[in-house]
Amino acid sequence: MEEKKGGLLAGIYSRTIKTTDAAKKVRPLTKKISQQAHEAAAEGKPIAYCFIMSLHDEIIRAMDITPIWTENYAAITAVKRQGERFISSAQGEGFPRNLCTYCTIQEGFDVMRHQLGMMPPDAPDGGMERPTMMLGTGMMICDPRYKSYQTAQRYNDVPVHVHGLLWPAADANLAEVQDYYVKYIVEELRDLVDFLEKQTGRKMDWDRLNEIIDLANKTYQVWYDAYQLRKAIPAPMPTEDAMSTMVPGYFWMGTQEAFDFYQDLYNEVKYRVDNRIGVIPDEKYRILWAAGLPPWFALAILNYFESLGAVFPIEITYHPPPPVEIPSHAKHPLERLAWRFFKQWTQRNEEAQRRSGDPMVEWMLEMIEDYKIDGVLAHRATTCRTIHVGQIHQLNVLRDYVDLPMLILESDICDVSAFDEAGTKDRIDTFVETLEVYKKRKQ
Amino acid sequence: MAEEGLAKVEKIYQDRGGRAKELRAQGKKIIGCYCCYAPPEIITAAGLVPYRITGDVKETIREADSYLEAIMCPFCRNSFDMALRGEYDFLDGFVVPHTCDNIVKIYDVWKYNLKPPYSHFINVPHTLSAASLEFFKAELGTFQRSIERLIGREISLQQLKESIKLHNEYRALVRELYELSKPDPPLISGSERMKVLLAGTRVPVEEANELLRSVISEVKERRDVPPKKPARVLVYGPEIDDAPFIELVEGVGANVVIDDLCVGTRPYWFDVEINGDPLGAMAQAYLEKVNCPRTYRPRTAGRKEDLDNRFGYIANFAKEYKVNGIILLILNYCDNYEFESVEVKDYLQQAGFPGLIIEVDYTLMSIDWLKTRVQAFLEMIS
Repeated sequence: MEEKKGGLLAGIYSRTIKTTDAAKKVRPLTKKISQQAHEAAAEGKPIAYCFIMSLHDEIIRAMDITPIWTENYAAITAVKRQGERFISSAQGEGFPRNLCTYCTIQEGFDVMRHQLGMMPPDAPDGGMERPTMMLGTGMMICDPRYKSYQTAQRYNDVPVHVHGLLWPAADANLAEVQDYYVKYIVEELRDLVDFLEKQTGRKMDWDRLNEIIDLANKTYQVWYDAYQLRKAIPAPMPTEDAMSTMVPGYFWMGTQEAFDFYQDLYNEVKYRVDNRIGVIPDEKYRILWAAGLPPWFALAILNYFESLGAVFPIEITYHPPPPVEIPSHAKHPLERLAWRFFKQWTQRNEEAQRRSGDPMVEWMLEMIEDYKIDGVLAHRATTCRTIHVGQIHQLNVLRDYVDLPMLILESDICDVSAFDEAGTKDRIDTFVETLEVYKKRKQ
Repeated sequence: MAEEGLAKVEKIYQDRGGRAKELRAQGKKIIGCYCCYAPPEIITAAGLVPYRITGDVKETIREADSYLEAIMCPFCRNSFDMALRGEYDFLDGFVVPHTCDNIVKIYDVWKYNLKPPYSHFINVPHTLSAASLEFFKAELGTFQRSIERLIGREISLQQLKESIKLHNEYRALVRELYELSKPDPPLISGSERMKVLLAGTRVPVEEANELLRSVISEVKERRDVPPKKPARVLVYGPEIDDAPFIELVEGVGANVVIDDLCVGTRPYWFDVEINGDPLGAMAQAYLEKVNCPRTYRPRTAGRKEDLDNRFGYIANFAKEYKVNGIILLILNYCDNYEFESVEVKDYLQQAGFPGLIIEVDYTLMSIDWLKTRVQAFLEMIS
């Protein structure tokens, strides 16, 4: 057993072992998010609390607003084993423990900063600065995106803006609905820009926004291309690395730094593929990480799989969206963003209507074929209904189309107390044995 | 003489889908609806019968665990479990509005596993902007066309307006019913009222109107009014859609005289404008006037004004119905209410109405602890 990957999970405090150099370079980028916010606060510049995947990225970059990605910060506190004090702080205010721990950590942090009148002592990366505004979204998923910041006004009495971002159900006739969906997104984004202009006293530079969108689209493309290389056997880059390499794509999109990061990642993964350098030397099983957020404080469970000869070559979670074709008539930057969003979220709807009824299942079926998958694992984060309600259904549907072992592990994104280490290892051991049984049966 | 008034309510309440099954045998189509955001006006206008999907608080989950996670809204799990057990087999279709994460998920799971002859998902924006209203109107148009495909003909403007009129009449009768809780003691108990509202969602609107008229008339004239209790309370919460919890509160020392519940005042405290464009009027009424924390109400002024705008109506209910306290009954894993109840409780406390937050798993299997907590609260406020 190789030393690097061979050690059993030495408790949940063990550090996750990354494979690629790119993944190892991510931590400075997360530190820089906080650092920029500290500098902006010192200079009196606008700072916004934001959620990911909300089409804020290019818009706030174009308006020089410094983001604090509150989900990201919560995950950092979890990795640093500091989440509990913020969750408890929120609980003390009446927020139940079963609420999204990204949000309870943010609320709890806000409570402490408000009550102390200063940054909570020893907060990771110097803490989250008090925002000058909070930007939520009303989407098809994730109710906390519009509730959490609204409630946080108890502790940060600053303006909140929520814009709507909707996509149709999987069975909707896209030709019938797409025009009014896209129109809606455009108008909601215009409303967001109006709000930001009012808050900052700056006018949007539409040409600059177009340039940033161009850069973001290039970045999505190279990021996507790099991940396509992961179809190779042996797997050149595992899922635990992807949980780091998502950082530029979700928190730095629209910047040159993000583009350069993924260009480097592409080159590195290509080198590993060309030279058949795998994550582990003796790759026996390839597992798909299905939709589900990871236990940020215990990503080392993926290393434990590797010690048993199983690797995760690809994952649904945080996978870059595939490039989509934007209609040529969409010239205005907000129209370009709206069409990109709509197409990304509906790209598998027609396939789903022809087969499984579920776009996510269609995506998993594609990955199972393309990445030569032997089994599927989903992680259920118990405080998040957004992604994790529906996992049983998705795997039930998936079983109608493929005969593979599937497992759901359960803990949380940030709540360490939800993690059962011994039970998790037992389930992993049994799952890997099942993978072997299936493999032999197929041979 | 045919049964009417509260006796008829009790029969419909106990028999759940009984009337729907009779109507189905006569050739009517029954369309199940989740939540408050699928306008029954469109279903009625098509000659179909809307039927509100509820759970059964007396039942625990038997089969749904194989389909739905335990971290999901317990009402959704419970109602889906009923469907798995065949208790909604009389539905010819079902409509799911995008209320919250949980309701969104139930659409796919129900459709894939139970394969109803008709299903439709209505997207509902979370914001109240002009664009949101326009979008919701377009979604209701898509819903109308979907229903028209089901019945094989167009719904006329006149039919839509007639239907709005019938449902406005129903909403007005519900508000009149609540008026009967203003005296002290109230003329109707909270649990009786809940049964009336449930019965009203399980029959065609014409019958519901007739039923409410007979109940109101009976209650106004009856002499055996509910006994006066030491406290008058308001119950706030999400999908609390059965009588036992209200009975519990009333059994330990309070009259439940008003509520802010999904089967309660929430879907009935407004009218749909009858003149002009029906889809636009329904979009405006349902999006703006259903007070559910799933809708983000933008802040237009200071913090106090924001809270008044969001929760002032609850305080007004409390004043109007002269309550001593509020019971906030929250379902586990209901994110919107879990966030919101913290603010609601504080706001009402400052308005002079003490509150008790209780989280339940929807069923009333372990009722004793609940009784103890409610009793202690009522003793405090009485």
